Amino acid sequence: MIVTSFQRSYLKLAVLFLSLFIMNRIDAQQIDLLIRNGHVIDARNNIDEPMDVAISGGKILKVAKAIPSADAKKIIDATGLYVTPGFIDLHTHVFVGSNQGFADGFSCISPDDITLKAGITTVVDAGTSGWRNFPVFKKNVIDRSTTRVLAFLNIAGSGMTGFPSEEDMNDMDARMTSMVVQQYPEFIVGVKLGHFRGSEWTPFDRTIEAAEIADVPIIIECHIPKYPLDEILKRLRPGDIYTHTYCTAVDRECILDENGKLKNSVIEARKKGVRFDVGHGGGMFHFDVAAPALKQGLVPDSFGSDLHRSSINSGMKNMLETMSKFLNLGMSLQDVIFRATWNPATSIKRADLGNFSVGAEADIAIINLRKGTFGFIDTKNNKMTGDRRLEAEMTIRAGKVVFDMNGLAARSWTAK
Amino acid sequence: MINRNQTQQIVQICLITFCLLLLKGSLIHAESQSIDILLKGGHVIDPKNNIDGNMDIAIGEGKIVQVSKDITVKNAKRVIDVTGMIVTPGLIDMHVHAFHGTDPESYIADGWDALPPDGFTFRAGVTTIVDAGSAGWRNFRAFKKQTIDRSQTRILAFLNIAGTGMHSRFEEQDVTDMNPEMAAYMINRLFPEILVGVKSAHFWGADFTQVDQAVKAGTIAKVPVMVDLGEHHPPLPIEELFMKHLRPGDIWTHTYANAPKDREVPVDENGKVKPFIFEAQKRGIIFDVGHGGGAFHFAQAIPSIKQGFIADVISSDLHTGSMNGGMKDMTNLLSKFMAMGLSLQDVILRSTWNPAKVINRPELGNLSVGSVADVAVFSLRKGDFGFTDVRAKKMKGTQKLEAEVTLRAGRVVWDLNGTASRIWDEKP
Repeated sequence: MIVTSFQRSYLKLAVLFLSLFIMNRIDAQQIDLLIRNGHVIDARNNIDEPMDVAISGGKILKVAKAIPSADAKKIIDATGLYVTPGFIDLHTHVFVGSNQGFADGFSCISPDDITLKAGITTVVDAGTSGWRNFPVFKKNVIDRSTTRVLAFLNIAGSGMTGFPSEEDMNDMDARMTSMVVQQYPEFIVGVKLGHFRGSEWTPFDRTIEAAEIADVPIIIECHIPKYPLDEILKRLRPGDIYTHTYCTAVDRECILDENGKLKNSVIEARKKGVRFDVGHGGGMFHFDVAAPALKQGLVPDSFGSDLHRSSINSGMKNMLETMSKFLNLGMSLQDVIFRATWNPATSIKRADLGNFSVGAEADIAIINLRKGTFGFIDTKNNKMTGDRRLEAEMTIRAGKVVFDMNGLAARSWTAK
Repeated sequence: MINRNQTQQIVQICLITFCLLLLKGSLIHAESQSIDILLKGGHVIDPKNNIDGNMDIAIGEGKIVQVSKDITVKNAKRVIDVTGMIVTPGLIDMHVHAFHGTDPESYIADGWDALPPDGFTFRAGVTTIVDAGSAGWRNFRAFKKQTIDRSQTRILAFLNIAGTGMHSRFEEQDVTDMNPEMAAYMINRLFPEILVGVKSAHFWGADFTQVDQAVKAGTIAKVPVMVDLGEHHPPLPIEELFMKHLRPGDIWTHTYANAPKDREVPVDENGKVKPFIFEAQKRGIIFDVGHGGGAFHFAQAIPSIKQGFIADVISSDLHTGSMNGGMKDMTNLLSKFMAMGLSLQDVILRSTWNPAKVINRPELGNLSVGSVADVAVFSLRKGDFGFTDVRAKKMKGTQKLEAEVTLRAGRVVWDLNGTASRIWDEKP
C-alpha cells in the first residue's frame, strides 16, 4: 500500500491527538490524596528514598518524585517521616465476642482497637475460628472492621473454644476445613494447628492434608508439648509457618540448645523455606532467645504480635512495638519494614498486599522514627534499652485516613 | 471500797496505758509493714490531699501505705525509680461505653459500638471507668457478666433510664419503658457498689419527660443524673434544664459539642458564653466533656475556656466511633486541654478527684493512706504536637502526657518503657 505524505502527516496527527488524549486522561485522573516528601520504603518495588505517593479511588495511582500537586484534592506533607505500605500482623486473635475463651470470646480483641494507631492495616487471625464457626467470625468481626481481617482456619472444627473438644481428633476434618478455605478465598489464607496435648501426629497430618487440598500454607503454634521440635520442622513444608519462634515456653522445645546455639533442625528448616513468625503474645517472646538467635542469623519472617486480651498490656503492646524491639536488636529499618509488609504478604500468598505497586489498594503507614532513650520489655518482664522507637503518625486504609496522631491531615481550627 | 477519786485514777491510768499500747502498736506496725512497691522520686499530684511536689509513695497489700518525702528503701521489696515523672491517682474516665457484645440489632448495649475497656485504659493511666448508660435495668446484668466481671479496669456505671439502655435509638424513645422505681431498685438494692447514677440520653421527644424520669430515679436512689440532651428538634432550652429540671450535682455531658441544630450550645454566635451557663455552674450543675466522635469542637471549647467556663470533668466518651478519631485516649485528651491553657495540676484534678466527688466515690481518685493503690505515672513529653477535634480541626501544642506505668490495686498493669523491669542480660 502506498501512503502519501499527506496521509502520513494525517496519521502522525491522529497518533499525536490520540496520545494527547491518553496523557490527558492520566493527568485528569483525580488525585484524592497526595502524600508529599516522605521517605518511601516499598520493599516489593525496591524503593527506599524520598518520593511522593498519589492515591485515587482508594488505590495507589503513582509513586514518583515531585508529583505535581495542582490536581490533588488533599495534600499531606510527610517531610521527615517514613511512608510505607500498611503493616501486616500475621498472628492475631480477633474473633471477639461475649463467650469465655477465644472463639467468639472475651479473650480476643477487636482489631480496630489496636491496629490503626500502630500503622497496621491487615491482620491475620491465627485459627481462632474453625470451619464450623468461621461464618460467625466473618459476620461479627471481619465484615464490621476497618482493618482488613484475614484468617488461618483452625483444623479444630470450632476453633479455639478453650474446651477439651478443641483437641477432639474426630472433629479435625481435613475435607471440611479445605472446603471452607476454598469457599472464602478472599479471607482465608491458611490452616492452623494450635493446641494438642497428645502425641499422635493425626492432627498435624490432617492440617497438612487440608492445606494441600486448598493449596495454602499452615501455621503451627507451640502448644503441642509432645511433638519434638526436630520432628515438627522436618514435617513442615517450604512456605509453612512456625510461630512463637523466640520463646522458652514449657509447652514446646526452644530453638536454642543448652549452649545457646541455634539447633541444626532450625537452620535446616529455614534453608528449606519454612517461615518463622515472632508471635510475641503475653508469654512467648524472650530476649534471652531472640538476641542470640538474631546474632546467629535467625531474623523473623514476620512480626506476628499474637494480639489478644492478655498480650496488649504486656511487653507486646502492639506489632509496631515488636518491630521497634527488632530495630534496637540490630536489624535495619528497611529490613524491619520489609518483614512487616511485603514478606508477610508473600507468606500468605497475597501479592496484592504489602506494596505500593500502581493499582494496589492504598493501605499506608506514615511512621515517625522517634529518637530518645526507651525501654522495651519481653514477656518475662525483662528489659532492653534502645534509642529508637517507631510511632504511627498516620494510617490510611483503602485511601481513607483512619488515624491521624498529630492532625497532619487537619486544618487549623481558626482557618475559615 | 474504792472511792470516787480512786476510780478516776484507775480510769486515767488505764487510758494512758491503752494510749501507750496503741502508739507502740502503730509504731511497730509502721516499721514492720512491708512495702511491696515503693515509687521513688516522682512528682506527686494528688489534688484531694493538696499534694503537688516531690514525694515517694509506698504501697503494701494493694493499698497506699504512706506518701511522704524520702521513704527509706530498706523495707521495700521492690523499688520503682520514677524520678522526673509525674505520679497521680489512677485516672477516672467518667464517660465511656464498655458494654461490648455481638447483638446484631444493637449498637451500644451488647453491641459493636461499645468497647471492652482494658485495651484503652491502662495504657492511658486510667484505672476506673464509668459507663455512661450503655445498659438499662433490663440488660445491666448481662453487661456485668460479660464485661464488668471480666475486666481488670474498675468499671462503674450510670444506669440508663430506658429499660434496654442504648440498644437502639428507636427503643430509647419508649417513655413507657422509663421506670424510675425499677432503675432505683437496681441501683440501691442490687448493685450499689457498681451503679453510681442514672443516664438520660438520645431522646427525640418535644419535652423533658426523659430527663424528669431520670431525675425521679436519681432522687429515689440518691444518685446524680447524667444528661446527654440529644436530638430534640427544635432543640430544648438548656437554661430551663439547668435551672428547673436538674438538681445540683446532676451532670450535663458533651459540654463543648457544637451541633446547634440538635442541641443548644453554651457559646453563642458572637463567641460569648451565655450568662446562664455560669449561673448553672454556680447552682452546682456539673459539666462533663464527653469528647466522643462528634461532641468536642474547638469552636466551643476555646472561647469557653478563655472566658472561664471550664468543664468540671474531662472524660472521653470512648466507643468505636471515637477511639481512632480526635479523642484517641485520656492522655491525648488531657494534653489537648493543656494545649488550650489548663495547667497540668488542673487537668489531673478534673480527671481524678473531681469525677470521684461527682459520682460520690470519695475513696477513689486520691492517694490517701489506706485507699486502693490505683496509681498513674506519666512523663511529660516535649515537642511539636497537633491535637484535633471531631471536625478534623487542629491546634498545636508543645507537651504531651505519656502513661509510663499504671498500677491497679498495687499491681503493675502497664509499663511503657520497662521502668519497673530489670535489664534482661544483667545478673540480679
